[in-house]
Amino acid sequence: MTATTSGRSLVRIAALPRGFVRRVGPAAIIAIAMIAIFSYIAILRPALLTYPNLSGLFATAAPLVFATLAQLIIMSIGDIDLGIGFFIGLVSAVSATLLSTDTLLGIVALAVLVLGYAGVGYLVQVRSVPSLVATLGASFIWLGLGLLLLPIPGGAVLEWLRSLETWLPPIVPVPVVIIVVAVALVWLITQRTTFGVRIRALGSNPMVVTRAGYSLATTRALAYGLAGVLGVCGGLVMSAKIGSGNVAAGDGYTLLSIAAVILGGGTFSGGRAPVWGALFGALTLSFVVTLLTILRVPGEIQSAVQAAIIFAALAGRIVIERVAKS
Amino acid sequence: MTSRRFALPPWAFSVIFAGLVLLLIFAVSGRPDIGSLVVALQLAPFLVIVGLGQMLVITAGAGNIDISVAAIMTYGGYLSITVAEATGSWLVGLLAAAGMGILTAVLSVFAIFVVRVPPIVATLVSGLLVSSFTLSIANGFTGTADASLTAFTRLQVGGIPVFALVVAVFTAVVWAVLTFTVYGRQLLAVGQAPTAAGYAGIRTNAITASTYLISGALAGLAGGTLSAYLPPNPTMGESYLLDSIAIVVVGGTLIAGGRAVPVGVWGGAVFFILLDSLLNLVGWDKSGQSLLKGALLLAVLLLAGGGSKAHALTRRPARRPTSPDESVPVAEAAK
Repeated sequence: MTATTSGRSLVRIAALPRGFVRRVGPAAIIAIAMIAIFSYIAILRPALLTYPNLSGLFATAAPLVFATLAQLIIMSIGDIDLGIGFFIGLVSAVSATLLSTDTLLGIVALAVLVLGYAGVGYLVQVRSVPSLVATLGASFIWLGLGLLLLPIPGGAVLEWLRSLETWLPPIVPVPVVIIVVAVALVWLITQRTTFGVRIRALGSNPMVVTRAGYSLATTRALAYGLAGVLGVCGGLVMSAKIGSGNVAAGDGYTLLSIAAVILGGGTFSGGRAPVWGALFGALTLSFVVTLLTILRVPGEIQSAVQAAIIFAALAGRIVIERVAKS
Repeated sequence: MTSRRFALPPWAFSVIFAGLVLLLIFAVSGRPDIGSLVVALQLAPFLVIVGLGQMLVITAGAGNIDISVAAIMTYGGYLSITVAEATGSWLVGLLAAAGMGILTAVLSVFAIFVVRVPPIVATLVSGLLVSSFTLSIANGFTGTADASLTAFTRLQVGGIPVFALVVAVFTAVVWAVLTFTVYGRQLLAVGQAPTAAGYAGIRTNAITASTYLISGALAGLAGGTLSAYLPPNPTMGESYLLDSIAIVVVGGTLIAGGRAVPVGVWGGAVFFILLDSLLNLVGWDKSGQSLLKGALLLAVLLLAGGGSKAHALTRRPARRPTSPDESVPVAEAAK
């Protein structure tokens, strides 16, 4: 009797935990795609592997990574954020104007923006409005504020922010450090804190949140606030990269961030926050652009190739999920 | 659950807001200048055509949305001119634009139902694909639209744009189809409760797929006619994507699906365009326009609320084993 039970538990230890393939599969596939694209870049242009070029490669990817992390938080509660792109653009405008002329005022402005983001989440919950439309409305406001601050791209960012981008410390490039630290922090928050459990529970089963004695409105507002903080980081990183502010520069991040989250294993139904998968998704989409530029693919075909890659990755993932299920 | 305190029809908000903006325009210009309304009616039809397609897609429910309309519109604009110049017939040009829209939608439908990609990503992907065609056609583009089509889109009889009348008739047709035909009732049923509709013998996937095809065709037509009204440019369709979603929702169509309000699409479109002319009149630049647009959209949401089907995108069929708790609708749990 004891022999059989211990035998069974042995088998259980040897086999993968339940749902392991389902949880890790998508992130693993997109990680393989990312490595494949990166290797191809490395083969085509070994010069890109030098330290400063590598730093630049990741610096280009960093704003999309932050946009994706913000989108991940919003999507893990079952919402969609159509405003993150212009929000990042707005933050870059704040960074190039208020923040560089009067640092304190700039910080206050950024804090107000985060509060505004949380306010959108609060509105979504309290008035039960669809997040898609609420964030769409908010995106008009972010764009308007950004154009008000900075009608044409320009301005100057803080010296230390700019130097962060050009500074080359030994061993690891700064953008890589920023990306890894940010992703690790978001992973810690979503997977290892009660707050993270609250957020994911809001996505999968709001009843649990109420039964646990938390307010749905506060939880949703906090989740949006966290996305806002990530958006602020993304905007600062972007302004550091381009050396100025540009509201329109963030536009493309909205839809790309959704694609990146989906590529990384996130779902529209919420409840899941595959942080590392989202990172791989964002890096893949960013590397693809670099690769296409190296291959001298004309600008007009680039978006088609990007589309094909998103499609192929999703199709591959769905096929594997079906195989894993059967 | 929200109780029905007001007996206002769902499109009332959009029409009231449009009326208020018109009154503001009168107040600012100091005289009842009907010209701004005529301009709005001249520009609204293009937005309405895209909006009607978007409305049908959204009505199919549960996360259905068409992101590809912007790309289809822009490409449709160039394509209709090119084909019309090659064949000598503006009608063939418009048909080509509509056909291209349908082809794009076929791609989206394939991605949604065969590969099972969420609609927002599927239509984004097919839109990206189309936009790469646009960029290659737009490079050094010299074509001009057929003169008679241009004249038609600008034609006014008794101060009323004829094109607006045509689109108004089409809107009435859409309304009639939704209200009186089996197809229309099936679409609404699918949007309200896909599972129940399926049990009732409705081919839910076919109905949902058809809305994408219609939306693609309409976006192509809107692009084809818009490029006759104004010369095309590579970003022609961009603003129409977000605006089409916004006006549909402002017009009272439920984003969760199951309730389509064609009249509201008109209300929303006229409201948005009047707003632009008001701000031009006051001398606000693009930043002010965008700010006010966003604030008003949020205000409409705040006033109207989303009702009981707020979190449309969370209402996808659960793949995990359901516990009794999970059968409680999200919004009800939220109360």
